[in-house]
Amino acid sequence: MDWFYPFVQAILNGILTGALYALIAMGMALIFGVMRIVNFAHGAFLMLGMYATWVLFEYGHVNPYLGFLIAGVLLFAIGAVVYAGLVRHIPVQAEFMIILLTLGVSLISVDSVLLIFGADYHQLNFALLGRNFRMGQISLNAPWVISFGIALLAAAGLYIFVMRTMFGRAARAIAQNAYSAPLMGINIHRVQAVTFGLGAAAAGMAGGLLLPVFYLYPDVGHLFNLKSFLMVVMGGMGSIEGAAAAGLALGVIESLTSLYWGNEWALVVDFVIFILVLSLKPSGIFGSQRA
Amino acid sequence: MKRPQVMIGAVIFLVALLIPVFLRNDYFLQVIFRLFLFASLGLAWNLVGGYAGQLSLGHAAYFGVGAYGLALLSPSISPLPAIVAGVVLAMISALIIGSVSFRLRGPYFCLATIAFTEVLRLIAKNLPNVTGGDVGTPVPSLFPRNTMVSFYYACVGLTIVAFALSYWVERSRFGYYLMAIREDEDTALSVGVNTARVKLWALLLSAAISALAGALYASLFLFIVPDQMFGVEVSVEIAILPMLGGAGTLLGPLVGSLVLETASEVFKNIFKEAHLLIYGVLVVLVVLFLPEGIVGTLMRKLSWFKSAPPTPFASTPSPGPVEESKRVPLPQPTSE
Repeated sequence: MDWFYPFVQAILNGILTGALYALIAMGMALIFGVMRIVNFAHGAFLMLGMYATWVLFEYGHVNPYLGFLIAGVLLFAIGAVVYAGLVRHIPVQAEFMIILLTLGVSLISVDSVLLIFGADYHQLNFALLGRNFRMGQISLNAPWVISFGIALLAAAGLYIFVMRTMFGRAARAIAQNAYSAPLMGINIHRVQAVTFGLGAAAAGMAGGLLLPVFYLYPDVGHLFNLKSFLMVVMGGMGSIEGAAAAGLALGVIESLTSLYWGNEWALVVDFVIFILVLSLKPSGIFGSQRA
Repeated sequence: MKRPQVMIGAVIFLVALLIPVFLRNDYFLQVIFRLFLFASLGLAWNLVGGYAGQLSLGHAAYFGVGAYGLALLSPSISPLPAIVAGVVLAMISALIIGSVSFRLRGPYFCLATIAFTEVLRLIAKNLPNVTGGDVGTPVPSLFPRNTMVSFYYACVGLTIVAFALSYWVERSRFGYYLMAIREDEDTALSVGVNTARVKLWALLLSAAISALAGALYASLFLFIVPDQMFGVEVSVEIAILPMLGGAGTLLGPLVGSLVLETASEVFKNIFKEAHLLIYGVLVVLVVLFLPEGIVGTLMRKLSWFKSAPPTPFASTPSPGPVEESKRVPLPQPTSE
């Protein structure tokens, strides 16, 4: 039974991480599904969310579990502005131009943060960090559990918003057919601006929730950017429930890889899966592609 | 009819070859070395990304394999064969990467090239016994006295070779195949272009030049670490230079490197580590205002400059009457 507890522990840890991954990936899947934009600035949005939450905590003494909401609102605004000011002006057929544009936005965000806050690593310093929930040999870190719970709620909220509201229906109509949606009276630019903002807000909130359990530096988003590409492709590009499932799966896979092969190989496994999915089943493993 | 671009290119190279005669300042030579190094990388990228229209964000893979090939093999075989081995290894990686990625289109292709490069970076990091891991590995010097001038001439030479190769590609049947693929891959396929093979050949040429550039770069600094060679920033820089200058034009990579490397050198002193900020701003400005790049836009505006085939990535007019949306769903991923 020696193997049993580490194994269960790794799976539980994986699920805790996976919920945050899922939230990040849902944001990207939403943007891709509605606008067909591969958003290279997604990691930068996450990083901005982390920094916003961190600044609120350090200088305003706002609890990060409240601060992440403010970060989400801020990122919603940033996302909507990026859409209205930049993305909107690029015709979507020039998909490489949009990739370059989001890359540019990402470079600007990361380097502005670098310029303002420096390249130092930061970590939140608050009492909850050392607390653990124990059940026999299994122990779960308290901030992880709280972040997990909130991320699940946020992901569920996003899902309900997209599937059950009139706005979500408009966004899905654009995803299905961007030509006929405006003919049905949908204000395509407004809906897309809100969608882009929502995607950015999901990344920003995930960043805020990640802050208590992770550390912070200007380029932190890069890693999550690549991972969210993987999750969105795995989930079937554009399917938000698929992306969420892929996020959970990826969390567990990484955790198990770390347990058996060592931490440094977890990312390698990620990218090997990425290549396999891309070459064998580019339409995704989880869920069908909704478009 | 490419005269203006070839002439301007020739003038730039002539000036570059004369610079060390008058200027023996190692700092300036190193700045210009870097400029030409990235120009050669940009020219290499341009074969795949410009003429064939395949947006690769993974050219650091070949750059890094060339460098690591030189570093790791030269103890057992001498440096020159090690460079050749590095080039061969880079071409083998290109064969593997290309045969998987070229089946994908649009953003999927782009993501696949990133994924492969990341795998190489992580392997270089995670095998400290072989590659020195994060600590890095020493690289032998290629030139006996290791002077900046010899590296400088080698780099300008490599850029001239890459430029000549691009010139040949632009005028050859092979080049027209590439441009046909860029304009419409399905049509190219249907008129009998073996698109898979043509794209792969372009990538092999591109990888060989990138590997040579990598070896040169590594040998100048005598020491390399994985993030410096395989980092995504390197891939992004390699792709951005020619796009800024004008993807799919002969002179584009050269002009892009001239503008971007100069800007980055100037801003390095002002912004310190954050000098990539200027990259971001330039990229956004180019995408918004010069979607065909500097050379591409000049070619359209100035009649005497006009000559070349149409540039890629410029927006094609919207097919339908729905001007308001301008949004067309992306084709489904195809894996023929």
